[in-house]
Formats: sequence, structure tokens, C-alpha cells
Amino acid sequence: MRQMNARKIRSPEELNKAAERAQKAHRNYRCRVLVCMTGCRALGAAEVVAAFREKLAAAGLNEEIEVVETGCIGLCARAPVVLIEPYDYLYGRVKPQDVDEIIEKTIREGKPVESLVASENGKLLPTIGEVGFYKEQQKAVLANCGRIDPKKIEDAIARGGYQAASKALFNMTPQQVIEEVTKSGLRGRGGAGFLTGLKWRFCRESPGNEKYIICNADEGDPGAFMDRAMKEGDPHRVIEGMIIAAYAIGASHGFVYVRAEYPIAVEHANIALDQARKLGLLGQNILGSGFNFDIELRMGAGAFVCGEETALIASLEGKRGMPRPRPPFPAQKGYHGKPTNINNVETFANVPLIINNGAAWYASIGTEGSKGTKIFALAGKVNNTGLVEVPMGATLRQIVFDIGGGIPRDREFKAAQMGGPSGGCVPMQFLDLPIDYDSVKDIGAIMGSGGLIVMDENTCMVDIARYFLRFVQSESCGKCTPCRVGTKEMLHILDAICEGRADIEDLKKLERLAKHVGKASLCGLGQTAPNPVLSTLRYFRHEYEEHIIMKHCRAARCEALVQSPCRHACPAGVNAPEYIALAAEGRLDEAANLIRRRNPFVSVCGRVCDHPCERRCRRSDVDEPIAIRALKRYIGDNVSDFSRPMARPAAGKTQVAVVGAGPAGLSCAFFLALMGRPSVVFEAQPIPGGMLSLGIPEYRLPKKIINDEIAFILSHGVELKTANPIANVRELLDGRYKAVFVATGAQTGRKLRIPGEELNGVMDALEVLRYRALGKAESFDGRRLVVLGGGNAAIDAARSALRLGAGKLTVLYRRSRQEMPAYEEEIEEALHEGIELHALAIPKRIVGDGHVTGIEYVQARLGDMDDSGRRRPVPIEGSETILDCDVIIVAIGQTPSTEPLIWENGPQVSKWGAVSVDPVTMATCVPGVFAAGDCVTGGTTVIEAIAGGQRAAVNIDKFLGGPGRLPGDVGFAFTPPLQENLMAVSTREKEENLPVRKRKLNFHEVVLGLEAKQAIREANRCLRCDLER
Amino acid sequence: MQQGKNAPLDKTAALKICRSMGQITPDSLIPILQKIQGAYGYLPAEILFEVSRQTGLHVNHMFGVATFYEQFHLEPRGRHTIKCCRGTACHVRGGRDIANTIQRELGIEEGRTTEDMRFTFETVACLGTCFLAPVVMVNNDYYGTVTANRIKSIIEKYV
Repeated sequence: MRQMNARKIRSPEELNKAAERAQKAHRNYRCRVLVCMTGCRALGAAEVVAAFREKLAAAGLNEEIEVVETGCIGLCARAPVVLIEPYDYLYGRVKPQDVDEIIEKTIREGKPVESLVASENGKLLPTIGEVGFYKEQQKAVLANCGRIDPKKIEDAIARGGYQAASKALFNMTPQQVIEEVTKSGLRGRGGAGFLTGLKWRFCRESPGNEKYIICNADEGDPGAFMDRAMKEGDPHRVIEGMIIAAYAIGASHGFVYVRAEYPIAVEHANIALDQARKLGLLGQNILGSGFNFDIELRMGAGAFVCGEETALIASLEGKRGMPRPRPPFPAQKGYHGKPTNINNVETFANVPLIINNGAAWYASIGTEGSKGTKIFALAGKVNNTGLVEVPMGATLRQIVFDIGGGIPRDREFKAAQMGGPSGGCVPMQFLDLPIDYDSVKDIGAIMGSGGLIVMDENTCMVDIARYFLRFVQSESCGKCTPCRVGTKEMLHILDAICEGRADIEDLKKLERLAKHVGKASLCGLGQTAPNPVLSTLRYFRHEYEEHIIMKHCRAARCEALVQSPCRHACPAGVNAPEYIALAAEGRLDEAANLIRRRNPFVSVCGRVCDHPCERRCRRSDVDEPIAIRALKRYIGDNVSDFSRPMARPAAGKTQVAVVGAGPAGLSCAFFLALMGRPSVVFEAQPIPGGMLSLGIPEYRLPKKIINDEIAFILSHGVELKTANPIANVRELLDGRYKAVFVATGAQTGRKLRIPGEELNGVMDALEVLRYRALGKAESFDGRRLVVLGGGNAAIDAARSALRLGAGKLTVLYRRSRQEMPAYEEEIEEALHEGIELHALAIPKRIVGDGHVTGIEYVQARLGDMDDSGRRRPVPIEGSETILDCDVIIVAIGQTPSTEPLIWENGPQVSKWGAVSVDPVTMATCVPGVFAAGDCVTGGTTVIEAIAGGQRAAVNIDKFLGGPGRLPGDVGFAFTPPLQENLMAVSTREKEENLPVRKRKLNFHEVVLGLEAKQAIREANRCLRCDLER
Repeated sequence: MQQGKNAPLDKTAALKICRSMGQITPDSLIPILQKIQGAYGYLPAEILFEVSRQTGLHVNHMFGVATFYEQFHLEPRGRHTIKCCRGTACHVRGGRDIANTIQRELGIEEGRTTEDMRFTFETVACLGTCFLAPVVMVNNDYYGTVTANRIKSIIEKYV
């Protein structure tokens, strides 16, 4: 390794010569192997470096090939990261065993090692410039990070280090430096965003000869690691910025205050300061300019509040880190009462760029009010975690999706937390907002220092608010009452909410407290402590309310409310871990019995449920979620005696009427029967089952299955009257029934409202499905069909029409494929069966003369977000296309069927037809009238309907004087999970499908269910989260 | 430094540190405490009194500072310190489960030391390695993307 000549550099010319010498030294090497030795050390980078050094020496290549221990290369998600110059091949997850191959293929032959490079959609991306993560970044401040050895000053000098300091000291007056920095528009990168040039001017103008520069490297925000990377990877840039600042304001002494939790940063900072001093770049007579400035390193001692400037100064002065009121500001009276300028690491790191390239260049980057670039520490639920530098004005979508690679496991983006404990969350409707200081402030967050934590649907926003509050509460210095006591009170309320102990009044109290704490606290810690609470309340108030009113945590995170996430996520609260354990033991009858204590439709749901349980399954943190739905089906299909009732039939006077024999109505009747109350179910159609029979096609849900489960339900004391429509529910109340449960569903398809809708050949999907179910469907005789819509009804109608003899089948959907609400598996099978899909196609009019001959649509592209948080499809001018067809099936939504509920002083029905009920009791405003299912929610899932019926049954029982208690469903299975399950990574069992050729023109069931061996294996993957209690 | 609980501590290291500080100013307080803790593993009261005698820094200032900052410990610590990160990224990626697992494995609560003085277990607000979440640090070794089943093998490495 080469040593720099330990001769002081005494002029700009000597600096240039030193740079040339250092560059020449680099040119001796034909190849440079850059290995990140900062963050990547945690995943074995040191061993990789050792392997390179050893093997290159053994091969006699160590004179030609330089192994460089660098700072952060950026794509931390693929640590340990190695970059090979001059090819710029970027290798990730490098192990010592890979070094031989890298030497052979890359160093000897100049080719990339394919197993180590990034890839996208199967295409290999060997060079760093091609990788998605880097393409949209602008590495200005981070230009050297990852390309130099931070422990060698000559590397920095070779790449232009200290040139800006030289320019400032020799070619500019302090005043000019301040003007340049001011004109550039640089704003403080620590979070507050104050104009740096202005701050320097205040300090310069303060009277006195003794002034100080402080670099705040305390980086206390949990989730932020930009400053750490900067100090570890390119410390000389920061020193240079400090020299320029010191010159500008007239300081001769500076401090770098690094938090103690960053040992590598401390080590590299010490080395850098030492080397700079040795070369005369720090200390007396810098570069021979006559300017004196030296820097002392101090370490923090573990107090977040010391990131606040006056607390930091107190800490430097050997005191407890307590802030003091401002004014006077540090620029007037700071360290030991002297004028002091404190800036963040990244702020200083920007300064050399401004001096070298000019304010105009700098101001050309970024937005009107926020110039330059910003470094973000991207972490959380995002694929490409790491260090990101983008111009101000980049959008969250670019950062999270284009650069960050989106959310792991294709989960839904929920929010991004910006600004740490002082900041707020940015929900999905702002994904396209250009990020700068002011735009972020407008939506209730702050830019902050750069920590950006991505959150998905499995993150509870109330828990996040509580998390931050717990943090600031413990970090509060205690000096002022609003912060010390106020944050504690707020935390108590949040704990109560997360533990199900709060009421709605507490929410108001929380908001009031938040506003007071923010207004009255002494320093930034207290003033911003309420931000996460206020921000999550602003955009996720419903989550708070769900915790309080429903004792429900939709992310299934709050431990006090959630026994196991799957059970919590199930709207009907089915005890999944226990029935899975019973299935693993082969006790299938007991497993079915357990399920039925919360949901009588075992085989039905085992086929058609959209399994919210699986979305929360904790197993997916290990490998893949448990195939809960498939297991439920296996249980239902293999029960030894399906029809045996679980209880004696309910007997006695029938006091309850149920309107609608769909899943909601039948479930309600079933649970009422289990509670000892017989009921009668009125059904308008000739067959029971509601959407199960009349909406879901037989190839998904065979008639026999539905009928068997309905028979099971009826055998418990439920009377069924089909072909018996109820015109008005009121007549039931005036009669013999004390309570009525209405579950009339949402049977009517929504109208398209485009020209040509009235032509012959335009059909409603629900009608098509219903006719088929009732045996009244006619063959389509090879006619060409177009289905409009993207939900399950559309796909069901399409695949049914195919089986009814349709010819060419096309589905048109106005939004993108990813946004289609239909189940992914259903869409996949539709495509396998030969159905075509045109996404981003907006229908304009139906063409024909008395009868349909075609449909005209425009292509669309995705535009800005609308209020629902989805991107609005924007028609592309001139892209009108006519698709020839003979039949059009419309499946764009369902409207609730609530005519029987309309009477004077009757239940409240909204303008689009849904009946209003109390979300907990399912009661309407008319005593004794309850409702649930699609007639309340509009078209939703089967399990939601079943859950609604279950909840209504409980409350009807209470209404009639009973205890409203469902049978116990805990404590049936005893097998703990096998230890090996926690260790071994496995894949999830998949159900077989009927081959496509065997599906032609028939309605045979397509999904074939798990085999016994598969089911047992799958059931044994369950981690039994319920046993943690 | 391993000492019996009641035996007087060896003051040599403390004296050396005081001498190496050069001129003592109020500023010197935190750096001295950091060095003392580096030598003794914690801040023994009798050593603090000795430092006060040597440097003129007031004992009440020392205790005031030592009790304010997280980093300073007035009680002896385990041979190894396990720091489980409870930063935001680690929290979002299941840091709490990791902390619970460590607690179970060691049989001690956060902030405490095992009976045999082998481990002290703490949670830290953020280690700055968020891209590796969840993170556990033992002494100066970082362990990234930790899962609950790896905790045992990590702990077993430290005697």
C-alpha cells in the first residue's frame, strides 16, 4: 500500500500536484475491486476483502489489482456489495467462496459473473448504471462514497478533494463565500431546512473574534443513516465543507459531534482529521493561505435530544444535554456564549459542490423552493433498502417503486414515514407529490434528515404513532413540563388504544394534548413530538377508530388485541391455528367442527374465500404464508360424516325472520340456532344460496357442495321457504316475528351509462350467471363476446360464457391489470382458457343497429391519483378502437337490493341503496331490524357476509334477552409446532388444476384440492402464533 | 476489568486517563467519563470520586451527566453487551419479536445483566444500519436481517 508523502501541502499548486500524483498512483492498477466496508461489514464484507487480498496475492496479481475498502456503495439490500472498476460491474451478496470466480471471469477475462449481478424480469444488469436502483439517482454529494477508501486522504484528493476549500481561501472573500452559498439556495439538511447562507451570515455578523463551527453528526432519528454513510465513506468532503464555513464566518475552531453508537464513523473521522492535519489541510496556515482552523472530534453519549443544537452545545460544554430558550440563537450566543454555527453533516457535504460548480449550477437542480439533491435512507418494507440521492422534487413513487423496487411480496404500499419522530407519514394519495421542504410540510409531514421508512398493509399506523411517542418520551430531557408530562400522557392514551382500553373521548383528548404539547414545548423535540400522532390521525383516523370501537387492528399487529394474526384478520374470527393443528393430526371432523363454531361454510369458503388470513400470516416472514384456504377445503372435503349436526336442533317458538338465504342470512340463522333460537329464512329465488348459487359459477363452486352445507345448516332448526319474496320487511315485524335480519344482497348490476346500452345483446353479468345457475342459460353459439369489468363477476361471467359456447372472448377493463379486483388465480385461469384481456381500455359507446355489432373504446394511460388513491385512467387522444362483437356483458358493479327496507320511519338507506347499520351490532335504526352482507356494504366478499350474519345473530340474541354467546372455540388442539419448522425454509403446497383441455364446454370443478400428504405437510408449516400467549 | 464486588478497584487506569487529558476544562467531563467507562466497563463511584480529586471536576456534575446520558452506566455490566435495535425500520420489520426472543433466551429483561455477568441486554433506538433491519449488535459485531431462530446461535458465540 502506498503512503502519501507526509509533507504539508502549502499552496493550491501543490494541491493540484498532489492530486495528479494520487491519480497517477491509481493508474498503476489495471483494475480496482471496491468492497463496501462500512454497513456491509455486518454481512461479512471483511471476510470478502480478506479473501480477495489472499487470493490476488497468491495469483501474483496484487500489484495490478487494487483492493479498496470503501464506504457505502448504496444498494445495501444486496450486501456485501462489490464494485469492479473499470467495468463498473456491480456484484451483490458476495461471499468469500465467490472470489475465485470473480478473479477468473472478471479480473482475468473482463466478463461479469452472472450469478452475482442484478436482474430484472429475467434480464441481467451487470453494470451499476443499468441497475434500476441507480438509474434515477443523482449522486452528487455521494459521488465519492463507494469509490474511494475513506481512510486514505489521497483518494479524496485524487477526486478533487479540498479544491473547493482552496478556491474559497485563495480566490474568494468570506463575504463572497456566503453570497455564493446563499444564492445557491442550500437549505439545512438536518431537517428544519433553514437557509444555510443566511445562517452563516448571522454568525458572521455577530460581534466577536472567537467563533465556532459545529458539525452535527448526532443523527439520532431512528431510521436515518445518511450522515453515518457520509462520515464513514467520504469524511474529507465534510471536513472541506467545515473549512469553507469556518472561513466564511471567521471561526478558527470546530467540533464534529458524532453519536457514540457509530464506532466506524468515529474511527474514520479520527483518521481523516489526523491525515488532514498532517498534510496541512487542517490546523495552522491551511494550504499556505494564512487561515487557521482545526477540528476536534467529540462523541455523543446516547441522548437523542443532543441532536437539538442548544442541547448539543450543552453536551460539548460538559453539561446535561438540556436545551435552552432561543433567542439568543447559537449564531449570536452559542458554545460558551460565543457565536456558533451548527450545520448537519449533509449540509456541509453540499458546500464544496457549490463552491466548485457555482451557485447557478446548484440552483438548477431541484425545485423552486428547495435546491440541490437530498440523500434518503430508504428502509422498511421496501425491496431495495439503501442509500438514495435524488434531486429535490423527485416523487415518492420514484423513490419507493422505481428506485426502491417496490414492496416485498407485492404487498400494498400504505405510507412512507419521513422525518423520523419529528415527522409524519405520507400516505399513498401523495405518491406523485414532488418531494421538497414545502410540499411535505403542506401535507403534515417534514422532510426531516432523510430517513424514509416504507410501510405496507401489515403495519399498524396507531402502533407507529405509539412507537414514536414512546421514543420521544424516553428521550425527553425533562426540562419543560409540556414535553415531559405531555408526551407521557399521550403515550398512556396510545397504549390504551392499542390495548383496547380506550373510548372515543380519549381520541379527542389525544388531539388536544398533541396540539398543546406542540405549541408549548421548549425545543424541537417536544414541539415536533406530536407530529406522528397528528399525521396518522389525519390520514388513518379510521384505524384509530377501529382499535377503539371494534377492538380491531387491521394490520393484526397490536399484541394485546391479536391472538394470532390470521384469526384476527378473519372477519368471522375463525380459529385458524387450532383447526390447522387438528388437521395436521388427522382430526378432520374436529377441525370442521371448530371452523363451524364461527363459520358454517367450510367447503364453500375453502373454495371461494379471498383469505385475508393469508395476507397476515406470519409464516411469510420466514418463507411463504400457510395455504389456509386450501387446508380448509381439504378439511371440508374429507369430513367423515358431513351432514351430522353439531348440536340438537333449536326448538321452541320461532321469533326471528331472516330475509335472504345467502351466506349472510344462512349464517345468521345457523348461529341463532346454535344459541337455541329457531328461525325461518325467506328466499325470493327458487333455490337458496344467494350469490353462492346464483353468482359463483359451478366450476368454482359445485352445486353439491353448496347444497350439502345448506342442508347441514338447516338441520339445526332452521326453516327455509324458497320462492317466497318479501315485498316489505315491515309486514314481518307487524306479524309474529320479534326481530328480522335482512340480507337481501346486491343483486342488480350497475348500468354503464354509455350510448348503445339499450341495444339487443347487452346483458348484465349477474343476470347471465343467475340464468346459468337456474338452468335457464342458452348457448352462445360461437358468438363473439366482450365482457366489461375487472372484478370477480366479470371473470366469472367470461369463463361461464366460454363454457356456454362463446367464440372469441375479450375482457375490457378501464384500469391496469394489477388493479383488477378479481382474484389473481381467476384472472390467470381465464387467460389460460384463452380469454383475452385488454387493460386500460375505457368503453365509449356500443355500436350496432338494433343489435350489438361492436364496442368502441379508447386506450388509456395511468395519470394522477384520484381520491380513492388509485391512478386515474387518462384517455389517449385518437386511440379509439372498435372491437367487433355480438354480445356485451356488463360487470361493472353491484347495487344493493334494499327495496324491502323502504318505509316511512324505516331503516336509513343511503342514496346508492345501502342500508346503514351500527358496525358492531349490525342493528339498523329501527329496533329489532338488523342487516348485514352486500345490502349494507355493496358487493364484497363471502366471508364478510358470513361475519355480518354471525355478528347480527349474537346481537339479535342479546336484543331478545339472551347472553349472545357463541360456542367456545379455543383449546382443542394441543400440538406445539415442531422446532424444525422454524428453522427450515419451505415452499407452500399448491392445489392442482384440471387441465385446460378437460374444461371445454363443461362446468366441472377446475381447482382440484390438496392431496392428503400435501395437506399434512402444509398444516405442519404453521407456526402456531396463538401459542405465544 | 473483572473485580470482586467489594474489593477496592485499581485506580491506575483512571489516573493515567486524567493525566492524558492535559488541561482540564468543564468540556473535559464527558470525554473523561467516556474514557473511564472504556477502561472499567462502567463508572464505578469510587473511581469518579478519584477523578474528581485529580481533576477538580465536581462530583455532582459527574453524576448529573452520568445519569442523564444513556451511554453511561453506574453499575457493572456483563462481559458482552447485546444491543437489539428498536429503530423504526427494525420495528417495522419485526424488531420487537427479536427483542422478545433474546429476552426469553437470556432470561433477563431489557437493561439488565445475566447473573453470571456474561451478557447485558439493551435495546437501542437506532444503530444506523436500517437497511439490514432487524439488527442485533453484540459488542462491536453487527448481525443483520436477523430471524428469531438465529438468536441462539449468535448468543452461543460469546463466552
